[in-house]
Amino acid sequence: MSTLVFIDLNKSKISESSAQAATIANQLDDKVYGLTTYNDDDYISSLGNKGFDKVFKIDDFKNFDAIKETIINHKINTIVSPNINLFKELASKISIKLNFSITSNVLEIVDNNSIISSIFTGKAESQINVDNENRIYLLNKNIIDSKEFDKKVDIIRIDSKISQNDNFEILDQTLIEEDISLNDADIVISAGRGLKGPENWKMIEELAKKLNAATACSKPVSDAGWRPHHEHVGQTGLKISPKIYFAIGISGAIQHLAGVNSSKTIIVINNDPDAPFFKAADYGIVGDAFEVIPKIINSLS
Amino acid sequence: MKILVCISCVPDTTSKISFTDENKFNSENVQFIIGPYEDYALARAVELKEKNSDIDISLLNVGLSQNDPLLRKGLAIGADRAYRINSEPNDSNFVALNIADFIKKNNFDLILMGKESIDYNSGLVHYLSGSILDFQTFNPVIFLDLDTDNRVIIKRETDSGIEKIKANLPLILGCQEPIAEWKIPNMRGIMNARSKDLLVIEPISVSSSLKYEKFTLPPEKDEIKYIDKENIETLINELKLKNL
Repeated sequence: MSTLVFIDLNKSKISESSAQAATIANQLDDKVYGLTTYNDDDYISSLGNKGFDKVFKIDDFKNFDAIKETIINHKINTIVSPNINLFKELASKISIKLNFSITSNVLEIVDNNSIISSIFTGKAESQINVDNENRIYLLNKNIIDSKEFDKKVDIIRIDSKISQNDNFEILDQTLIEEDISLNDADIVISAGRGLKGPENWKMIEELAKKLNAATACSKPVSDAGWRPHHEHVGQTGLKISPKIYFAIGISGAIQHLAGVNSSKTIIVINNDPDAPFFKAADYGIVGDAFEVIPKIINSLS
Repeated sequence: MKILVCISCVPDTTSKISFTDENKFNSENVQFIIGPYEDYALARAVELKEKNSDIDISLLNVGLSQNDPLLRKGLAIGADRAYRINSEPNDSNFVALNIADFIKKNNFDLILMGKESIDYNSGLVHYLSGSILDFQTFNPVIFLDLDTDNRVIIKRETDSGIEKIKANLPLILGCQEPIAEWKIPNMRGIMNARSKDLLVIEPISVSSSLKYEKFTLPPEKDEIKYIDKENIETLINELKLKNL
């Protein structure tokens, strides 16, 4: 029996979430396999240092028949994957067609039959018993630090014929132009209505650049059109769990906290000392953002 | 065109979550709502129906009778009839198998769900239902409009951007804002809803491999450390110390 990790790429490198999944897979199993659509054999060979023994190369994650065959032929009974939509779709298909149990928002794999999952948008946790030899765990980001390994990778090319005709057509693709994706960022700089207007985001962007961070915002800000919708974090927006979350001029409504409460370290900057966000923060600065942010930028220079 | 909107009934987003000594969700003083993402899905379905009276909207929930007032609310917003599969929504697999079975028996062109339910957040029911039925599934969808020849135009978010897609029916969509604005039922809608059908169906049996063993609240945060705004370097040093 063996363990498979879905490999997601970020700027032509394995994403940190997939590296973390590989570290966890190594805790469960001696032999860890990977599945990727990446084509560069030199790079794939280097993935031994992320804990892979074998990597299957495939043209497209949509090629379900080839993936199904690989799972059966290589006796894969455990799949560990980042909790992203691309892999949720594939994992759901495997779950239904090959009878794997599936759980998402996994925070910890306690043992082979038991996991802890985040529920109620981070407001609670549940221990779930999994009574199935075949299982898929979709992991939340940053539940572990990825480790370095000293393994040699066997590359196996899976013959690929797209097995189904798509009954849709992509008319247009708009790429989000951001240097760092909000999902994959270690540091996120988020701002709210306290910034008074979209013209004041320059300093937020400058701070983000200094820290190699992604930018985000609260719901009122994206509703007002000050920032694009894909930057909205919170209960009805994106849920993120970076290592550091800066909340600037955000009061900290319970719906906003729900989207960011699993961040490792939360730093709140607000001129209202009674802002509820301070209750959820690790560090707090009471002060005017227009005064404090330039100071932070300065001290980083 | 037949549209099915699947809704979850979940604690209001401002609810404080707690559990009883018997390891059950504590629903005392908790207000339940139609899940915010499904509320967007329903609103979009009703908007489409306003433009095209051939559209027929059914509402579906897997849940117990305490959800009936929320199904009535959905009827008041503009759905034509509601169905409730009479069971606790045990896990994603159970809900998906029941929804898929219902769809097989009743034939729908377009199935709208939320991106995820905000209680268990699995975000899997649309994908699982799609896999059972071999229906194309898109998630999260932020735009939906009807095209000619029984096709729809949608926009979905991906990890790298937004895709505009023309797709054939049948189709399952996981919806998210800004697909529509939430709708509030008006008096006429509320009166009309009284005479619409709310049908109760018994669930199919599903052997579940998942057991929710124990519920807990996340560990408490350490006490907040205040940093003087005149002394920002302290913050930078603290973060460096923690290797961040």
